Amino acid sequence: MPDASLVLGIETSCDETGVALARIHDDRTELLVDAVASSVDEHARFGGIIPEIASRAHLEAMVPTIQRALGEADVDLGQVGAVAVTAGPGLVGPLTVGAAAAKALAVGLGVPLHGVNHVIGHAAVDEMVHGLFPERVMALVVSGGHSSLLLVDDVATDVTELGHTLDDAAGEAFDKVGRLLGLPYPGGPHIDRLAREGDPGAIRFPRGLTAAKDQARHADDFSFSGLKTAVARWVEARQDAGQEIPLHDVAASFAAAVADVLTAKTIAACRRHEVDTLVIGGGFSANSQLRELATRRCAEAGITVRIPPIRYCTDNGAMIAALGAAVVRRGLPASPLDLAVDSSMPLTQVTV
Amino acid sequence: MSAVHEVELPDAASARAWGRSLATVLAAGDLVVLTGPLGAGKTTLTQGIGEGLEVRGQVASPTFVIARVHPSQVGGPALVHVDAYRLGSLEELDALDLDTSLEDSVTVVEWGEGLAEVLAEDRLELVIDRPHGGAGLSEEDLATADAGTRRVRVRAVGPRWADVELPTGG
Repeated sequence: MPDASLVLGIETSCDETGVALARIHDDRTELLVDAVASSVDEHARFGGIIPEIASRAHLEAMVPTIQRALGEADVDLGQVGAVAVTAGPGLVGPLTVGAAAAKALAVGLGVPLHGVNHVIGHAAVDEMVHGLFPERVMALVVSGGHSSLLLVDDVATDVTELGHTLDDAAGEAFDKVGRLLGLPYPGGPHIDRLAREGDPGAIRFPRGLTAAKDQARHADDFSFSGLKTAVARWVEARQDAGQEIPLHDVAASFAAAVADVLTAKTIAACRRHEVDTLVIGGGFSANSQLRELATRRCAEAGITVRIPPIRYCTDNGAMIAALGAAVVRRGLPASPLDLAVDSSMPLTQVTV
Repeated sequence: MSAVHEVELPDAASARAWGRSLATVLAAGDLVVLTGPLGAGKTTLTQGIGEGLEVRGQVASPTFVIARVHPSQVGGPALVHVDAYRLGSLEELDALDLDTSLEDSVTVVEWGEGLAEVLAEDRLELVIDRPHGGAGLSEEDLATADAGTRRVRVRAVGPRWADVELPTGG
Protein backbone atom coordinates (compact mmCIF):
# COMPACT_ATOMS: atom_id res chain seq x y z
CA MET A 1 0.00 0.00 0.00
CA PRO A 2 1.31 3.48 -0.85
CA ASP A 3 2.21 5.54 2.19
CA ALA A 4 1.32 9.20 1.50
CA SER A 5 4.15 10.42 3.71
CA LEU A 6 6.84 8.68 1.65
CA VAL A 7 8.25 10.74 -1.26
CA LEU A 8 10.68 9.43 -3.86
CA GLY A 9 12.86 12.13 -5.43
CA ILE A 10 14.63 11.80 -8.79
CA GLU A 11 17.26 14.26 -10.02
CA THR A 12 18.89 14.13 -13.47
CA SER A 13 19.41 17.76 -14.51
CA CYS A 14 23.12 17.41 -15.18
CA ASP A 15 25.63 14.58 -14.69
CA GLU A 16 24.50 13.04 -11.39
CA THR A 17 21.71 10.48 -11.25
CA GLY A 18 20.18 11.07 -7.82
CA VAL A 19 17.45 9.04 -6.13
CA ALA A 20 16.32 9.71 -2.57
CA LEU A 21 13.48 8.88 -0.23
CA ALA A 22 12.01 11.38 2.21
CA ARG A 23 9.49 10.79 4.98
CA ILE A 24 7.16 13.65 5.93
CA HIS A 25 6.67 14.13 9.67
CA ASP A 26 4.55 16.89 11.21
CA ASP A 27 7.56 18.87 12.36
CA ARG A 28 10.32 17.79 9.98
CA THR A 29 11.23 16.08 6.74
CA GLU A 30 13.41 13.04 7.27
CA LEU A 31 15.89 11.81 4.67
CA LEU A 32 15.76 8.01 4.58
CA VAL A 33 18.30 7.43 1.82
CA ASP A 34 20.20 9.39 -0.80
CA ALA A 35 21.75 7.38 -3.64
CA VAL A 36 23.84 9.09 -6.33
CA ALA A 37 25.53 7.76 -9.45
CA SER A 38 27.84 10.18 -11.22
CA SER A 39 29.12 10.25 -14.78
CA VAL A 40 31.63 13.02 -14.01
CA ASP A 41 34.62 10.74 -14.69
CA GLU A 42 33.29 10.09 -18.19
CA HIS A 43 33.16 13.85 -18.82
CA ALA A 44 36.51 14.84 -17.33
CA ARG A 45 38.45 14.12 -20.52
CA PHE A 46 36.24 16.60 -22.40
CA GLY A 47 36.79 19.34 -19.84
CA GLY A 48 33.12 19.52 -18.97
CA ILE A 49 29.73 17.94 -19.35
CA ILE A 50 28.73 16.43 -22.68
CA PRO A 51 24.92 16.22 -22.65
CA GLU A 52 24.56 13.10 -24.74
CA ILE A 53 27.04 11.17 -22.59
CA ALA A 54 25.15 12.35 -19.52
CA SER A 55 21.79 11.24 -20.98
CA ARG A 56 23.11 7.75 -21.70
CA ALA A 57 24.69 7.51 -18.27
CA HIS A 58 21.38 8.49 -16.62
CA LEU A 59 19.59 5.85 -18.65
CA GLU A 60 22.04 3.17 -17.52
CA ALA A 61 22.14 4.30 -13.89
CA MET A 62 18.43 4.99 -13.32
CA VAL A 63 17.05 1.56 -12.45
CA PRO A 64 20.10 0.39 -10.43
CA THR A 65 20.11 3.68 -8.48
CA ILE A 66 16.39 3.38 -7.67
CA GLN A 67 16.94 -0.24 -6.57
CA ARG A 68 19.93 0.75 -4.44
CA ALA A 69 17.96 3.55 -2.74
CA LEU A 70 14.99 1.31 -1.96
CA GLY A 71 17.27 -1.48 -0.73
CA GLU A 72 19.29 0.76 1.57
CA ALA A 73 16.12 2.29 3.04
CA ASP A 74 14.46 -1.14 3.26
CA VAL A 75 11.40 0.25 1.49
CA ASP A 76 9.24 -1.59 -1.06
CA LEU A 77 8.54 0.35 -4.24
CA GLY A 78 4.81 -0.16 -3.53
CA GLN A 79 5.10 1.91 -0.37
CA VAL A 80 6.13 5.09 -2.25
CA GLY A 81 3.33 7.67 -1.90
CA ALA A 82 4.47 10.32 -4.39
CA VAL A 83 7.19 10.78 -6.98
CA ALA A 84 9.01 14.09 -7.32
CA VAL A 85 11.31 14.82 -10.25
CA THR A 86 13.42 17.70 -11.52
CA ALA A 87 11.45 19.40 -14.31
CA GLY A 88 14.17 22.02 -14.96
CA PRO A 89 16.30 23.99 -15.36
CA GLY A 90 19.07 21.79 -16.72
CA LEU A 91 20.12 19.82 -19.76
CA VAL A 92 17.10 18.77 -21.76
CA GLY A 93 18.26 15.20 -22.54
CA PRO A 94 19.18 14.29 -18.96
CA LEU A 95 16.00 15.98 -17.65
CA THR A 96 13.91 13.92 -20.07
CA VAL A 97 15.41 10.64 -18.83
CA GLY A 98 14.52 11.50 -15.22
CA ALA A 99 11.04 12.73 -16.12
CA ALA A 100 10.30 9.60 -18.14
CA ALA A 101 11.36 7.39 -15.22
CA ALA A 102 9.27 9.42 -12.78
CA LYS A 103 6.19 9.33 -15.01
CA ALA A 104 6.50 5.57 -15.43
CA LEU A 105 6.77 5.10 -11.67
CA ALA A 106 3.84 7.42 -10.95
CA VAL A 107 1.61 5.66 -13.48
CA GLY A 108 2.73 2.19 -12.42
CA LEU A 109 2.23 2.89 -8.74
CA GLY A 110 -0.89 5.01 -9.17
CA VAL A 111 0.59 7.86 -7.12
CA PRO A 112 0.93 11.62 -7.78
CA LEU A 113 3.80 13.03 -9.86
CA HIS A 114 5.36 16.36 -8.86
CA GLY A 115 7.71 18.14 -11.27
CA VAL A 116 9.85 20.59 -9.30
CA ASN A 117 12.54 23.22 -9.82
CA HIS A 118 16.14 22.06 -9.46
CA VAL A 119 17.54 25.37 -8.23
CA ILE A 120 14.91 25.75 -5.51
CA GLY A 121 15.70 22.14 -4.54
CA HIS A 122 19.24 23.30 -3.71
CA ALA A 123 17.70 25.46 -0.99
CA ALA A 124 14.95 23.03 0.07
CA VAL A 125 17.40 20.22 0.86
CA ASP A 126 18.42 22.14 3.96
CA GLU A 127 14.98 21.48 5.46
CA MET A 128 16.19 17.90 5.96
CA VAL A 129 19.46 19.04 7.52
CA HIS A 130 18.60 22.03 9.71
CA GLY A 131 14.81 21.73 10.01
CA LEU A 132 11.81 23.26 8.23
CA PHE A 133 12.29 26.84 7.05
CA PRO A 134 10.98 29.74 9.11
CA GLU A 135 8.44 32.05 7.47
CA ARG A 136 10.93 33.87 5.29
CA VAL A 137 14.47 32.91 4.30
CA MET A 138 17.03 34.19 1.83
CA ALA A 139 18.63 31.53 -0.37
CA LEU A 140 21.91 31.94 -2.22
CA VAL A 141 22.25 29.15 -4.79
CA VAL A 142 25.71 28.99 -6.31
CA SER A 143 26.99 26.28 -8.64
CA GLY A 144 28.66 25.67 -11.98
CA GLY A 145 25.51 26.71 -13.78
CA HIS A 146 23.76 29.08 -11.37
CA SER A 147 24.40 32.07 -9.12
CA SER A 148 21.03 33.23 -7.88
CA LEU A 149 19.64 35.08 -4.92
CA LEU A 150 16.13 33.93 -3.96
CA LEU A 151 13.71 35.38 -1.44
CA VAL A 152 11.80 32.35 -0.16
CA ASP A 153 8.49 33.19 1.52
CA ASP A 154 7.28 29.63 1.03
CA VAL A 155 9.60 27.08 -0.51
CA ALA A 156 6.75 25.28 -2.31
CA THR A 157 4.61 28.22 -3.44
CA ASP A 158 6.26 31.60 -3.13
CA VAL A 159 9.80 32.19 -4.35
CA THR A 160 11.05 35.51 -5.74
CA GLU A 161 14.25 35.70 -7.76
CA LEU A 162 15.92 38.88 -6.51
CA GLY A 163 18.99 38.57 -8.68
CA HIS A 164 21.29 36.34 -10.67
CA THR A 165 24.54 36.41 -12.54
CA LEU A 166 24.57 38.56 -15.65
CA ASP A 167 27.35 36.52 -17.25
CA ASP A 168 29.38 33.70 -15.64
CA ALA A 169 28.11 31.59 -12.74
CA ALA A 170 30.49 31.55 -9.77
CA GLY A 171 31.55 27.95 -10.37
CA GLU A 172 31.93 28.64 -14.09
CA ALA A 173 34.24 31.58 -13.39
CA PHE A 174 36.36 29.21 -11.27
CA ASP A 175 36.49 26.68 -14.09
CA LYS A 176 37.48 29.34 -16.63
CA VAL A 177 40.19 30.79 -14.40
CA GLY A 178 41.32 27.20 -13.83
CA ARG A 179 41.58 26.80 -17.61
CA LEU A 180 43.56 30.04 -17.75
CA LEU A 181 45.99 28.81 -15.09
CA GLY A 182 46.42 25.44 -16.79
CA LEU A 183 44.61 23.45 -14.09
CA PRO A 184 42.61 20.29 -14.84
CA TYR A 185 38.79 20.34 -15.17
CA PRO A 186 36.85 21.08 -13.09
CA GLY A 187 39.00 23.97 -11.94
CA GLY A 188 37.01 24.90 -8.83
CA PRO A 189 38.48 22.39 -6.34
CA HIS A 190 42.02 22.97 -7.69
CA ILE A 191 41.76 26.73 -7.24
CA ASP A 192 40.30 26.19 -3.77
CA ARG A 193 43.27 23.99 -2.85
CA LEU A 194 45.85 26.46 -4.25
CA ALA A 195 44.03 29.38 -2.64
CA ARG A 196 44.41 27.95 0.84
CA GLU A 197 48.18 28.43 0.59
CA GLY A 198 48.05 31.84 -1.05
CA ASP A 199 47.58 35.43 0.09
CA PRO A 200 43.99 36.55 -0.63
CA GLY A 201 45.13 40.18 -0.38
CA ALA A 202 48.05 39.85 -2.80
CA ILE A 203 46.15 41.15 -5.84
CA ARG A 204 43.12 43.40 -5.52
CA PHE A 205 40.93 41.92 -8.27
CA PRO A 206 37.70 43.84 -9.02
CA ARG A 207 34.37 43.16 -7.30
CA GLY A 208 31.71 43.11 -10.02
CA LEU A 209 28.53 45.25 -9.74
CA THR A 210 29.51 46.71 -6.36
CA ALA A 211 30.03 50.30 -7.50
CA ALA A 212 27.51 52.91 -6.39
CA LYS A 213 26.28 53.31 -9.99
CA ASP A 214 25.26 49.62 -10.09
CA GLN A 215 23.15 49.73 -6.94
CA ALA A 216 19.98 51.02 -8.60
CA ARG A 217 19.57 48.27 -11.19
CA HIS A 218 21.87 45.48 -10.07
CA ALA A 219 22.02 45.51 -6.26
CA ASP A 220 21.11 41.80 -6.14
CA ASP A 221 22.78 40.71 -9.38
CA PHE A 222 26.24 39.25 -9.77
CA SER A 223 28.86 39.57 -12.48
CA PHE A 224 32.09 37.59 -12.62
CA SER A 225 33.05 38.30 -16.22
CA GLY A 226 35.06 41.45 -15.47
CA LEU A 227 36.89 39.62 -12.70
CA LYS A 228 37.73 36.81 -15.13
CA THR A 229 39.07 39.32 -17.68
CA ALA A 230 41.12 41.05 -14.98
CA VAL A 231 42.73 37.73 -14.01
CA ALA A 232 43.37 36.93 -17.70
CA ARG A 233 45.05 40.26 -18.38
CA TRP A 234 47.06 40.15 -15.15
CA VAL A 235 48.34 36.67 -16.05
CA GLU A 236 49.03 37.76 -19.67
CA ALA A 237 51.03 40.75 -18.45
CA ARG A 238 53.20 38.47 -16.25
CA GLN A 239 53.67 35.99 -19.08
CA ASP A 240 54.56 38.77 -21.54
CA ALA A 241 57.20 39.99 -19.09
CA GLY A 242 58.60 36.46 -18.80
CA GLN A 243 57.70 36.26 -15.11
CA GLU A 244 56.47 33.26 -13.22
CA ILE A 245 52.77 33.21 -12.25
CA PRO A 246 52.28 33.04 -8.47
CA LEU A 247 49.50 30.46 -8.73
CA HIS A 248 48.69 30.37 -5.01
CA ASP A 249 48.31 34.14 -4.72
CA VAL A 250 46.31 34.47 -7.97
CA ALA A 251 43.97 31.69 -6.84
CA ALA A 252 43.57 33.12 -3.33
CA SER A 253 43.00 36.69 -4.56
CA PHE A 254 40.51 35.54 -7.20
CA ALA A 255 38.59 33.33 -4.74
CA ALA A 256 38.56 36.20 -2.24
CA ALA A 257 36.94 38.50 -4.81
CA VAL A 258 34.20 35.95 -5.56
CA ALA A 259 33.46 35.18 -1.90
CA ASP A 260 33.51 38.89 -1.01
CA VAL A 261 30.92 39.85 -3.64
CA LEU A 262 28.64 36.87 -2.99
CA THR A 263 28.51 37.40 0.77
CA ALA A 264 28.38 41.21 0.76
CA LYS A 265 25.49 41.36 -1.70
CA THR A 266 23.59 38.53 -0.02
CA ILE A 267 23.85 40.06 3.43
CA ALA A 268 22.82 43.47 2.08
CA ALA A 269 19.75 41.82 0.54
CA CYS A 270 18.94 40.12 3.86
CA ARG A 271 19.06 43.53 5.55
CA ARG A 272 16.95 45.19 2.87
CA HIS A 273 14.26 42.51 3.07
CA GLU A 274 14.55 42.11 6.84
CA VAL A 275 15.40 38.42 6.60
CA ASP A 276 17.38 36.86 9.44
CA THR A 277 17.97 33.38 8.01
CA LEU A 278 20.22 32.63 5.06
CA VAL A 279 20.50 29.27 3.29
CA ILE A 280 23.45 28.66 0.98
CA GLY A 281 23.19 25.76 -1.47
CA GLY A 282 24.55 24.50 -4.76
CA GLY A 283 27.85 22.83 -5.57
CA PHE A 284 29.88 26.03 -5.23
CA SER A 285 28.94 26.31 -1.54
CA ALA A 286 31.67 23.68 -1.07
CA ASN A 287 34.13 26.55 -1.65
CA SER A 288 36.06 27.11 1.57
CA GLN A 289 36.52 30.88 1.28
CA LEU A 290 32.77 31.32 0.69
CA ARG A 291 31.90 29.15 3.71
CA GLU A 292 34.33 30.95 6.00
CA LEU A 293 33.40 34.46 4.90
CA ALA A 294 29.64 33.79 4.95
CA THR A 295 29.87 32.31 8.44
CA ARG A 296 31.91 35.24 9.78
CA ARG A 297 29.90 38.03 8.11
CA CYS A 298 26.52 36.50 9.01
CA ALA A 299 27.61 36.21 12.64
CA GLU A 300 28.57 39.90 12.59
CA ALA A 301 25.23 40.83 10.98
CA GLY A 302 23.13 38.71 13.36
CA ILE A 303 21.97 36.45 10.53
CA THR A 304 21.58 32.70 11.03
CA VAL A 305 23.41 30.99 8.18
CA ARG A 306 22.47 27.47 7.18
CA ILE A 307 24.82 25.61 4.84
CA PRO A 308 24.14 21.91 4.31
CA PRO A 309 27.07 19.47 4.36
CA ILE A 310 28.88 19.36 1.01
CA ARG A 311 27.28 16.07 -0.10
CA TYR A 312 23.87 17.77 -0.06
CA CYS A 313 25.15 20.88 -1.87
CA THR A 314 26.11 19.06 -5.04
CA ASP A 315 23.32 17.64 -7.23
CA ASN A 316 21.46 14.78 -5.56
CA GLY A 317 18.06 13.18 -5.19
CA ALA A 318 17.67 14.44 -1.62
CA MET A 319 17.09 18.01 -2.79
CA ILE A 320 14.23 16.87 -5.04
CA ALA A 321 12.75 14.57 -2.38
CA ALA A 322 12.93 17.51 0.07
CA LEU A 323 11.15 19.90 -2.28
CA GLY A 324 8.68 17.16 -3.25
CA ALA A 325 7.97 16.61 0.43
CA ALA A 326 7.34 20.34 0.89
CA VAL A 327 4.87 20.23 -2.03
CA VAL A 328 3.08 17.12 -0.68
CA ARG A 329 3.02 18.57 2.85
CA ARG A 330 1.01 21.53 1.54
CA GLY A 331 -1.42 19.33 -0.35
CA LEU A 332 -0.63 20.96 -3.69
CA PRO A 333 -2.12 19.39 -6.85
CA ALA A 334 -0.06 16.86 -8.81
CA SER A 335 1.69 17.79 -12.05
CA PRO A 336 0.13 16.52 -15.28
CA LEU A 337 1.54 13.22 -16.52
CA ASP A 338 2.46 14.88 -19.80
CA LEU A 339 4.59 17.49 -18.02
CA ALA A 340 7.30 18.84 -20.30
CA VAL A 341 10.80 19.39 -18.97
CA ASP A 342 12.00 22.99 -19.27
CA SER A 343 15.74 23.52 -19.72
CA SER A 344 15.39 27.22 -18.85
CA MET A 345 12.66 26.90 -16.19
CA PRO A 346 12.24 30.28 -14.44
CA LEU A 347 13.36 30.31 -10.81
CA THR A 348 10.07 31.80 -9.66
CA GLN A 349 8.31 28.61 -10.77
CA VAL A 350 8.62 25.97 -8.03
CA THR A 351 6.36 23.30 -9.55
CA VAL A 352 4.86 22.47 -12.93
CA MET B 1 31.47 34.64 -51.53
CA SER B 2 32.26 36.76 -48.50
CA ALA B 3 32.49 40.37 -47.48
CA VAL B 4 34.42 41.81 -44.54
CA HIS B 5 33.02 44.51 -42.34
CA GLU B 6 34.70 46.10 -39.29
CA VAL B 7 33.20 47.80 -36.28
CA GLU B 8 34.68 49.34 -33.14
CA LEU B 9 32.77 49.02 -29.90
CA PRO B 10 34.19 51.32 -27.22
CA ASP B 11 32.40 49.73 -24.25
CA ALA B 12 30.03 46.98 -23.11
CA ALA B 13 26.94 49.14 -23.65
CA SER B 14 27.90 49.80 -27.28
CA ALA B 15 28.62 46.09 -27.77
CA ARG B 16 25.12 45.28 -26.52
CA ALA B 17 23.61 48.01 -28.70
CA TRP B 18 25.42 46.67 -31.76
CA GLY B 19 24.15 43.19 -30.90
CA ARG B 20 20.61 44.58 -30.80
CA SER B 21 21.10 46.15 -34.23
CA LEU B 22 22.55 42.92 -35.59
CA ALA B 23 19.47 41.08 -34.34
CA THR B 24 17.30 43.14 -36.69
CA VAL B 25 18.92 41.46 -39.70
CA LEU B 26 18.95 37.95 -38.19
CA ALA B 27 16.28 35.38 -39.04
CA ALA B 28 15.46 31.77 -38.25
CA GLY B 29 18.17 29.45 -39.55
CA ASP B 30 20.98 32.01 -39.27
CA LEU B 31 24.33 31.12 -37.75
CA VAL B 32 26.69 33.57 -36.02
CA VAL B 33 30.17 32.35 -35.05
CA LEU B 34 32.01 34.32 -32.33
CA THR B 35 35.75 34.06 -31.83
CA GLY B 36 37.93 35.83 -29.30
CA PRO B 37 39.94 35.20 -26.09
CA LEU B 38 38.46 34.80 -22.57
CA GLY B 39 36.98 38.17 -21.69
CA ALA B 40 36.66 39.42 -25.28
CA GLY B 41 32.95 40.10 -24.81
CA LYS B 42 31.39 37.21 -26.71
CA THR B 43 28.65 36.76 -24.13
CA THR B 44 28.07 40.53 -23.88
CA LEU B 45 27.52 40.75 -27.63
CA THR B 46 25.17 37.77 -27.46
CA GLN B 47 23.20 39.51 -24.71
CA GLY B 48 22.55 42.33 -27.16
CA ILE B 49 21.41 39.87 -29.82
CA GLY B 50 19.10 38.26 -27.24
CA GLU B 51 17.64 41.65 -26.32
CA GLY B 52 17.07 42.41 -29.99
CA LEU B 53 15.35 39.07 -30.59
CA GLU B 54 13.27 39.53 -27.41
CA VAL B 55 13.97 36.06 -26.04
CA ARG B 56 13.21 34.70 -22.57
CA GLY B 57 15.77 34.34 -19.81
CA GLN B 58 19.11 35.85 -18.89
CA VAL B 59 21.60 35.37 -21.71
CA ALA B 60 24.68 34.31 -19.75
CA SER B 61 27.74 32.21 -20.43
CA PRO B 62 26.74 28.79 -21.83
CA THR B 63 30.12 27.26 -20.94
CA PHE B 64 28.84 24.91 -18.27
CA VAL B 65 25.84 23.59 -20.17
CA ILE B 66 27.48 23.92 -23.64
CA ALA B 67 24.23 25.21 -25.14
CA ARG B 68 21.25 27.12 -23.85
CA VAL B 69 17.98 27.70 -25.69
CA HIS B 70 16.14 30.99 -25.14
CA PRO B 71 12.59 30.81 -26.50
CA SER B 72 11.17 33.89 -28.21
CA GLN B 73 8.69 36.00 -26.28
CA VAL B 74 7.27 37.54 -29.43
CA GLY B 75 6.70 34.57 -31.72
CA GLY B 76 10.07 35.00 -33.45
CA PRO B 77 13.03 32.63 -33.67
CA ALA B 78 14.56 31.21 -30.48
CA LEU B 79 18.17 32.03 -29.63
CA VAL B 80 20.44 28.99 -29.33
CA HIS B 81 23.59 30.08 -27.50
CA VAL B 82 26.43 27.57 -27.78
CA ASP B 83 29.93 27.34 -26.28
CA ALA B 84 31.85 25.07 -28.66
CA TYR B 85 35.09 25.20 -26.63
CA ARG B 86 34.79 21.56 -25.66
CA LEU B 87 33.22 20.25 -28.85
CA GLY B 88 35.36 18.41 -31.39
CA SER B 89 33.08 19.53 -34.20
CA LEU B 90 29.88 21.43 -34.56
CA GLU B 91 28.29 18.27 -35.94
CA GLU B 92 28.24 17.32 -32.27
CA LEU B 93 25.59 20.01 -31.86
CA ASP B 94 23.25 17.18 -32.77
CA ALA B 95 24.48 15.41 -29.65
CA LEU B 96 23.34 18.26 -27.47
CA ASP B 97 19.70 17.22 -27.63
CA LEU B 98 18.56 20.82 -27.96
CA ASP B 99 14.84 21.25 -27.55
CA THR B 100 14.58 23.27 -30.75
CA SER B 101 15.88 22.82 -34.27
CA LEU B 102 18.56 25.08 -35.70
CA GLU B 103 16.32 25.83 -38.72
CA ASP B 104 13.84 27.53 -36.38
CA SER B 105 16.44 29.41 -34.36
CA VAL B 106 19.18 31.99 -34.52
CA THR B 107 22.29 30.09 -33.44
CA VAL B 108 25.20 31.95 -31.85
CA VAL B 109 28.31 29.83 -31.34
CA GLU B 110 31.17 30.98 -29.11
CA TRP B 111 34.61 29.42 -29.73
CA GLY B 112 33.29 28.09 -33.03
CA GLU B 113 36.16 29.12 -35.35
CA GLY B 114 37.34 26.26 -37.54
CA LEU B 115 34.27 24.22 -36.65
CA ALA B 116 31.40 26.18 -38.17
CA GLU B 117 32.18 25.47 -41.81
CA VAL B 118 30.45 22.09 -41.72
CA LEU B 119 27.30 23.47 -40.17
CA ALA B 120 26.13 26.07 -42.62
CA GLU B 121 27.22 27.44 -45.94
CA ASP B 122 25.84 30.82 -44.91
CA ARG B 123 27.15 32.34 -41.73
CA LEU B 124 28.44 35.49 -40.04
CA GLU B 125 31.93 35.01 -38.61
CA LEU B 126 32.78 37.58 -35.93
CA VAL B 127 36.30 37.86 -34.54
CA ILE B 128 36.50 40.04 -31.42
CA ASP B 129 39.79 41.45 -30.10
CA ARG B 130 40.23 42.86 -26.63
CA PRO B 131 43.29 44.67 -25.22
CA HIS B 132 45.93 42.08 -24.29
CA GLY B 133 47.91 41.95 -21.02
CA GLY B 134 48.97 45.30 -19.65
CA ALA B 135 47.14 44.93 -16.37
CA GLY B 136 49.49 46.08 -13.64
CA LEU B 137 49.24 45.39 -9.95
CA SER B 138 47.30 48.54 -9.15
CA GLU B 139 43.71 48.32 -8.12
CA GLU B 140 42.67 50.91 -10.74
CA ASP B 141 44.32 48.92 -13.51
CA LEU B 142 42.55 45.73 -12.51
CA ALA B 143 39.21 47.45 -11.99
CA THR B 144 39.28 48.69 -15.57
CA ALA B 145 40.79 45.55 -17.11
CA ASP B 146 37.42 44.65 -18.56
CA ALA B 147 37.03 48.04 -20.24
CA GLY B 148 38.63 49.03 -23.51
CA THR B 149 37.58 49.04 -27.13
CA ARG B 150 36.60 45.79 -28.78
CA ARG B 151 37.34 45.56 -32.46
CA VAL B 152 34.96 43.24 -34.27
CA ARG B 153 35.81 41.89 -37.71
CA VAL B 154 32.70 40.52 -39.40
CA ARG B 155 33.00 38.15 -42.33
CA ALA B 156 29.67 37.52 -44.04
CA VAL B 157 29.86 34.17 -45.79
CA GLY B 158 27.44 32.77 -48.36
CA PRO B 159 24.63 33.98 -50.60
CA ARG B 160 22.31 34.57 -47.59
CA TRP B 161 24.36 37.65 -46.70
CA ALA B 162 25.09 38.93 -50.21
CA ASP B 163 22.76 41.93 -50.13
CA VAL B 164 22.32 42.38 -46.39
CA GLU B 165 23.56 45.61 -44.90
CA LEU B 166 25.20 44.98 -41.53
CA PRO B 167 24.97 47.60 -38.77
CA THR B 168 27.88 49.97 -38.26
CA GLY B 169 29.65 50.47 -34.93
CA GLY B 170 28.43 52.40 -31.91
